[in-house]
Amino acid sequence: MVDSSTRAVVGIFTYMDDALEAVKKVKAANHEYRMYSPVPRHEIEEVTYPEKSPVRIVALACAITGCIAGFALAILCSLDWPMRTSAKNVASIPAFFVPGYEWTILFGGLGTLGAIFVFCKIPNVLRTAGYDPRFSHDKFGVVVACAGNQVDDVKKRMMDSGADEVDVRESL
Amino acid sequence: MEHTHSEHDSKHEPPVTYAEVNDTVLKMMEPPGTGWYLLFFSCIFLLSIGAACWFYQMWSGFGESGKSHPIGWGTYITNFVFWVGIAHSGTLISAVLYLFRAHFRQPIYRLAEAMTVFAVMTAGLFPIIHLGRPWYALWLMPYPNERALWPNFRSPLLWDVFAVSTYFTISATFFFVGLIPDIAAARDRATTKFRKVLYGVTSLGWRGNHIQWKHYTAAYLIFAAFATPLVVSVHSVVSWDFAMSIVPGWHATIFPPYFVAGAIFSGVAMVVTLIIPLRKAFNLHRLVTPFHFDAMSKLILVTSGVVTYSYVTEFYTAWFSNNPFERFQFWFRPFGEFWLPFWGMTFCNCIFPQLLWIKSLRTNIAFLFILSIFINIGMWLERFNIIFQSLSREYIPAAWGGYNFSPVEIGITVGAFGWFGMWMTLFIKFFPSVAITEIKEVIPPPMRRASSHGSGH
Repeated sequence: MVDSSTRAVVGIFTYMDDALEAVKKVKAANHEYRMYSPVPRHEIEEVTYPEKSPVRIVALACAITGCIAGFALAILCSLDWPMRTSAKNVASIPAFFVPGYEWTILFGGLGTLGAIFVFCKIPNVLRTAGYDPRFSHDKFGVVVACAGNQVDDVKKRMMDSGADEVDVRESL
Repeated sequence: MEHTHSEHDSKHEPPVTYAEVNDTVLKMMEPPGTGWYLLFFSCIFLLSIGAACWFYQMWSGFGESGKSHPIGWGTYITNFVFWVGIAHSGTLISAVLYLFRAHFRQPIYRLAEAMTVFAVMTAGLFPIIHLGRPWYALWLMPYPNERALWPNFRSPLLWDVFAVSTYFTISATFFFVGLIPDIAAARDRATTKFRKVLYGVTSLGWRGNHIQWKHYTAAYLIFAAFATPLVVSVHSVVSWDFAMSIVPGWHATIFPPYFVAGAIFSGVAMVVTLIIPLRKAFNLHRLVTPFHFDAMSKLILVTSGVVTYSYVTEFYTAWFSNNPFERFQFWFRPFGEFWLPFWGMTFCNCIFPQLLWIKSLRTNIAFLFILSIFINIGMWLERFNIIFQSLSREYIPAAWGGYNFSPVEIGITVGAFGWFGMWMTLFIKFFPSVAITEIKEVIPPPMRRASSHGSGH
């Protein structure tokens, strides 16, 4: 948790490898950081977040829930209001495959959407500290949270890595 | 026309920097000109005709639709199947080709996805219009009610409700999720207050940091994996509306793959119909190149082959079954009194697309535009043949009958194009209709030192 006295040092980079080098340096110094990029790249993932995303677990759990819910809906509704056709089963599993299949996808998809919201921390319309509009255009950014007495050291690491400019803002 | 090498390169080579991609795509969203307003209000005009016809039908009664015994499913269900089919290729291009890493999809997939969402919104109107009393559409939903009634889960019509509503929800979600980083790029460049608020809210505060990208890319892949089975399931379920019955010409096991292939065929043709004027209007020659048209033409050629094979199989199965009703139905279609829709369909879907074997025609923009219109007409006729011809000649000759289009049906059909066109024109002007992020992904990132990853991934 970063307190309000923390400063955000914002490094803006033209080259991705420069930004990655800056990330390696601030990671080595145990600073909290965010790396911004206009596009997802495997090279960035490898340095910043090599672990697997938990989104897939949420998606699987929701899909299984949807499958069970789809079959349960069709079976329970049919048992509650039985429409018999000769000696055929009221709970007709082959026919109920469609609601089960569709709800597997529906719940899985909506669960994945929910997972994006939770893990990406969106919607978050108002939070802009440390962000620069150029990050969605063609620049890479490294934003580091540090105490006031560490600002100069972090700035130096950024400039040594090849930052175009380094800016200091109030908080991350 | 002859081009020097450098002239050719500057016009058709893809953008090489991230900034160029942003500039080219976001330029499309600049304040609209006269042409856009003309197109938008033309769509509104068509939509008004459709809306007026629908209200007239509700006020006067369903008899205005022109349907009568034995043709209980006519133009509205034809339109429903047609628009669901149009929707289909968007998911194919956005999800299936994403999983296969087919790079030719990148400049066209956003438009194809938008087409999917708006086409499903159009398709979804038709079963409701077809009800005659649209306020009873709610009864299709399994909700608790005082009579303890539940819908029949063994009915293909209820399967349709599940399939189409899921398809719409997932397609719209997939579409919106894909848009988030691109809307953020538009937000960061917006100049008017309206656009700043619009993009600020719809981008959900996306910043593109490494944690967001990590979860986003994982989720996008999962979305593609969820959407892929929908490509197969939705039109299969729609085809079961017919195939589960015992009507000659409908009761066929080939229907699901036949419908899926037909849907992709018509959907890709619609993408071509839309992308050609868009490319011209917004000068997208460097993003949508002859390579992309060549790839789409090949997809049209393959699906035309599958559709043609399906048509032949239907005839062969009818002959081989030795069932007189099936045999009669498939004699009646080409040689009966309604031969024109059948031969129109055959020409548009089977014969005309064969010209795409000629390489130069696969990149001939004028030819492709004309062909895509013919394919769309042909695919509408295909659904018309299946529905109308089969119902008009069932088992008992005393129950045979014909069908006359009513002005109300024609008005609503035209109105559907206005409805679809209205959403497309609004989307093109207010949101990035070419995927900024995905195009950037295939551009080598700016590196001071040599990269071991090469370009794209």
